[in-house]
Amino acid sequence: MIHIKKAGFWTTVQDTGRTGTYYLGLPPSGAADKYSYYIGNMLVANPMNFAALEMTLVGSTFEFHKRTVVALTGAPMKAYLNHDPIPFWEAFEVKEGDILSVQECRKGVKSYLCISGGVQVDEIYGSKSTYEFNKIGGFKGRKLKEGDELPINEPLPGAFKQVGKSVPLTYTPLLDDFQELRFTIGLSSYLLSDEGLKNFLSTDWTVSYESSRVAYRYKGGKVSFSQQHRPFGAAGGPADVVDFAYPIGSVMFVNEEELIVLQNDGTTGGSYVSVGAVISSDLDRMAQLRPKSTSRFRAITFDQAMEARKNRKARLGKLEEILL
Amino acid sequence: MPTFSLPETVFSFGGDEFIYAEITRDMKVESNLKALAVTKELRDRNIPGISDVVSSNASYLVRYNPEVISGKDLVDYLKEIDYTKSDPANLGISVRMLEIPVWYDDPVTRECTDRFIDRHPDPSLSNLEFCMKMNGFSDKEAFIEHHSSIPYLITMLGFMPGTAWQFPLGLKEQEMIQAPKYKSPRTDTPERSVGVGGAFTVIYPVRGSGSYQLIGRSAVPVYDSSQKLADFQDTSFLARLGDLWKYRPVNESEYMRIRKEIKDGTYRFNKKDIELSPLEYVNKGKKYIQELMEDIQ
Repeated sequence: MIHIKKAGFWTTVQDTGRTGTYYLGLPPSGAADKYSYYIGNMLVANPMNFAALEMTLVGSTFEFHKRTVVALTGAPMKAYLNHDPIPFWEAFEVKEGDILSVQECRKGVKSYLCISGGVQVDEIYGSKSTYEFNKIGGFKGRKLKEGDELPINEPLPGAFKQVGKSVPLTYTPLLDDFQELRFTIGLSSYLLSDEGLKNFLSTDWTVSYESSRVAYRYKGGKVSFSQQHRPFGAAGGPADVVDFAYPIGSVMFVNEEELIVLQNDGTTGGSYVSVGAVISSDLDRMAQLRPKSTSRFRAITFDQAMEARKNRKARLGKLEEILL
Repeated sequence: MPTFSLPETVFSFGGDEFIYAEITRDMKVESNLKALAVTKELRDRNIPGISDVVSSNASYLVRYNPEVISGKDLVDYLKEIDYTKSDPANLGISVRMLEIPVWYDDPVTRECTDRFIDRHPDPSLSNLEFCMKMNGFSDKEAFIEHHSSIPYLITMLGFMPGTAWQFPLGLKEQEMIQAPKYKSPRTDTPERSVGVGGAFTVIYPVRGSGSYQLIGRSAVPVYDSSQKLADFQDTSFLARLGDLWKYRPVNESEYMRIRKEIKDGTYRFNKKDIELSPLEYVNKGKKYIQELMEDIQ
């Protein structure tokens, strides 16, 4: 069990997320930066999909009531184990009574605490991920609070052999304030004018403060819609189509000056014009963008999207060989 | 062979894990019935690597794992299924028709829309009066009669769990009640509010934000997390894709009586099972819909 001494800003149980519930209006949820989350599980010799804790901007303080192996990955938050600084991207042992204090970060947004054996909460619709909006999954359907007692599983066989293993620097994500996000063009992109599309692609869009696990919100540019006929049945102005199911990563225009990119807790459907969807590896990088940082969107082909996916998989495969 | 007069479905990739299939840009009953049929067929086939199959108003969405199945192969595969589902003769489905008692122009949704009047395109009117004006009605009763005289097809689930988009059956496009959404959404909407946006009607399952024009309040829940009512035994959500909902206007005293039965856990929905025949719908239109509505109980 882990006793939560300080809640932090927004700490939730997450895993790889739900499948098979999207048609009900229930989004997948799951770790926002899966790359960092996977590496955390790798460090403590967990299967890739074991439930971990996702922290946001300011981490939590944990008192461990069980000897186990843990690792911190993602945005490098200041962290102390019983007052001694503890590095990110490295597996370490915690003893019964140890206090791990994870504080703020200067770069990035999301950090992961992975624990050998994983967090022990019930699976709801096949996943332990928290969907805060509907109070589904995770620990009591919500973010952690001071005083919570979070059950964890026994460390897995061989876990203690991982202690001291660390991730080479070249494998940790670059948490720059600017990220190029690759997307496949499609969906209702025909509703943007040529000029609008050009502006969209050539603008450095600024992340706004309302960004969350539901969606990243951007401002700072201006697009224009084509003068096509309004689809019958759609409920609004030029930025509305007949409501459809949004892909996660969908790049959508709320109006001519605001765009949003759907995250894992996203609204599953609606009527916003969508120019395409960001590929999964770049959604990981987007989730680490702080307010006021910027993104530029680059259209890629489906083959390039597959290539990017293969590269990430190969990278994680190589790292697994190093760590295990 | 009588076929839906639908263009070829347009497929596009949504990033590396989604395929989006647009049947039509405009909302059409035929598009929805086709989406329902394609997604059902796909689900029944249990293809490894497909994790989510979502039927929407006039499109559908598939999520897949590219490590298990190639996206390009899957698009080809979907095209084949899509093609076979263009013949309405093969698209009959078993669905339910449920009656939804509604207190139109009730005080709770009225109070709510008054609070957000500054966001409304026409602040001098209530949402219901605005819908009347937009659709050429001067008599409230005639508007209510029009909204409640035909059943609505559940064409999409989502937005948040329990929300169902409903599209009117048996009407020509120009006969459908339509209304624009709020430009800036309300931050509050009472649970069970009945709203109109575009040509769709929705019932808000829980309290929350919203942007459709509110015209009344359902006496019955569409979401019951306690699953206390008999009609919620299998699931917390009332809406099922393909089901038909028929509104019945009720006055305050009947609304209150139903609310009490719901509180006591004794309420049973008026409903009937039907075989929905897209072929008959294509051939007979409104007449077929009227036949379907006979003796619902």
